[in-house]
Amino acid sequence: MNILVFIKQVADTEARIIISSDQKSLEIENKYVVNFFDEFAVEEAIRIKEALKDVEITVCTFAPARATEALRTAIAMGADKAVRIDSSKYETDDLLIIARILAAYAKNEGFDLILCGRQAMDDESANVGAMVAEFLDIPHISQISRLNMLDPGRAEVENEIEGGKKISEIALPALFTAQKGLNEPRVPLITGVMKAMKTEITVLDPASFDAPFGPIDNESSKIHVLSYELPAKRPSVRIIDGESPEEKAGNLVRLLRDEAKVL
Amino acid sequence: MSNDVLVFVECKDSMPRKASLELLSAGRQIAAKFSSSLFAVLIGSGVKQAADMVSGFSDKTIIVDNGSLADYGWDSTGSALQEIVKKYAPMIILGTSSMTGKDLFPRLAARLEAAMVSDAVGFDFNGDGLKIKKPLYGGKVISWIAARADSLLIVTFRPNSFAVNEPGQKGEIIEEQVNIQKNPGIKVISFTKAESKKVDLQEADFIICGGRGMKAAEHFSLLDGIGDLMGGRVGASRTVVDSKWREYDDQIGKSGKTVSPKLYIGCGVSGALHHIMGMDTSKVIVAINKDPNAPIFQYADYGIVDDLFAVLPALKDELKKVREES
Repeated sequence: MNILVFIKQVADTEARIIISSDQKSLEIENKYVVNFFDEFAVEEAIRIKEALKDVEITVCTFAPARATEALRTAIAMGADKAVRIDSSKYETDDLLIIARILAAYAKNEGFDLILCGRQAMDDESANVGAMVAEFLDIPHISQISRLNMLDPGRAEVENEIEGGKKISEIALPALFTAQKGLNEPRVPLITGVMKAMKTEITVLDPASFDAPFGPIDNESSKIHVLSYELPAKRPSVRIIDGESPEEKAGNLVRLLRDEAKVL
Repeated sequence: MSNDVLVFVECKDSMPRKASLELLSAGRQIAAKFSSSLFAVLIGSGVKQAADMVSGFSDKTIIVDNGSLADYGWDSTGSALQEIVKKYAPMIILGTSSMTGKDLFPRLAARLEAAMVSDAVGFDFNGDGLKIKKPLYGGKVISWIAARADSLLIVTFRPNSFAVNEPGQKGEIIEEQVNIQKNPGIKVISFTKAESKKVDLQEADFIICGGRGMKAAEHFSLLDGIGDLMGGRVGASRTVVDSKWREYDDQIGKSGKTVSPKLYIGCGVSGALHHIMGMDTSKVIVAINKDPNAPIFQYADYGIVDDLFAVLPALKDELKKVREES
């Protein structure tokens, strides 16, 4: 059984981000991590491999060279192979293009199951997973919190939907996006880290494989960022006066009603 | 392609969600700018009552009312929406960045080769076109995004991004029959309805959020009392959820939910960056914390530096008075 895990390397929460003076680009401090939700996807693939044995896990990202580190983290956790589809000539704001590239890779490579995180922490778009599933014409289930492999061709998954929780039986191949709580991602052991250092990372040019799902060049991008700006700053906090907690509470409520007008 | 605006309306308990009415109010502005029509689309089972209410906000309200659409699915609901989009050929589709929206629209965008912007918080006009406001990196940066003019654009917005207009004259309601496709690879085994009838955290106007300073699960009853009084919701920081004092469903922050209520009150929340990133777009932020150096005060509009266990009962009484006056 082949499991593909799509991951994204994202800026760490603490990373400093500077907007260029023409507001057209961002400079991001070199602090990157594996996207939080993608760790659950990697972990789940490893758990399936531990349970079923005859499983190969390929972790794949569409990214510049810096993301090699993220791939090595996934190998250190227990993935078998790592592939970086080089994004340097295909930088785009249009996630549909990224989905076309990843779907084309998956189709060429073959797979039984695709896992990824429910959304990336940087853009919070939650787009690429479901888009890839659509291009590949396979079912997807969003934000799964439990996965049981029933037999080689089927999986039972639990996911959160509007108003409750659903349990479904899905015929593979399929794509699932991971929610927090699916598992507890492991911390790589030193042996894993040693292995990851030695593992060769395959680097692919998107032009090197068939792209049957539509154009992938930047010219065909339907979305572009016009500008970046800083969010509006709040004025400094107003600390509420009062002799007692009761008086402070009273003063706060008056300000919320009369000044902020939110009551 | 027309210049029309189409809003996908989500319902809860047979009524349109507030977030969908917000989209209709935003859609009204866009349709006015392009001198085009505003369509609302409701897809489900037994949606006529909701459609009647929605019709006061749109020029035309299109319904697909079919027993097989009772439960949402990207396959069935998506196939119905796709047919409506083909028939009415709008310029832009507006949806909510909800669990349903995040599941449905990327798939539809891929199928229709549409330009897609997700999790947006606003828009503006850019000459003859439209530009979409989308926060990145947990709100550290705002981006303005445009789509190619010849392309269908799909945008999903966070709840509480727009005010809801007063309803106007009721527009026409059109019932459409469409072919509904279900994916043969998906078999639903069971659906467990969440017990809470309360407003969704992301749609709530009022959120009171507890952090580590709440000290124990049982103290959250203080917050529940205020949340219920205000018709809002109680949120929790990551530490609180990791300590199992509250459910993950309540978690606000980068690894939980992003909220932007009218009023957010943080109680014993220190203000770690990953939490701030989940609530920074709230209209008014109040922090109650006995530590005057807690980082949350850097992001708050109002602050009370005191013991929250002394402040909260008094706050509840004061809020009750205001509720009774109005």
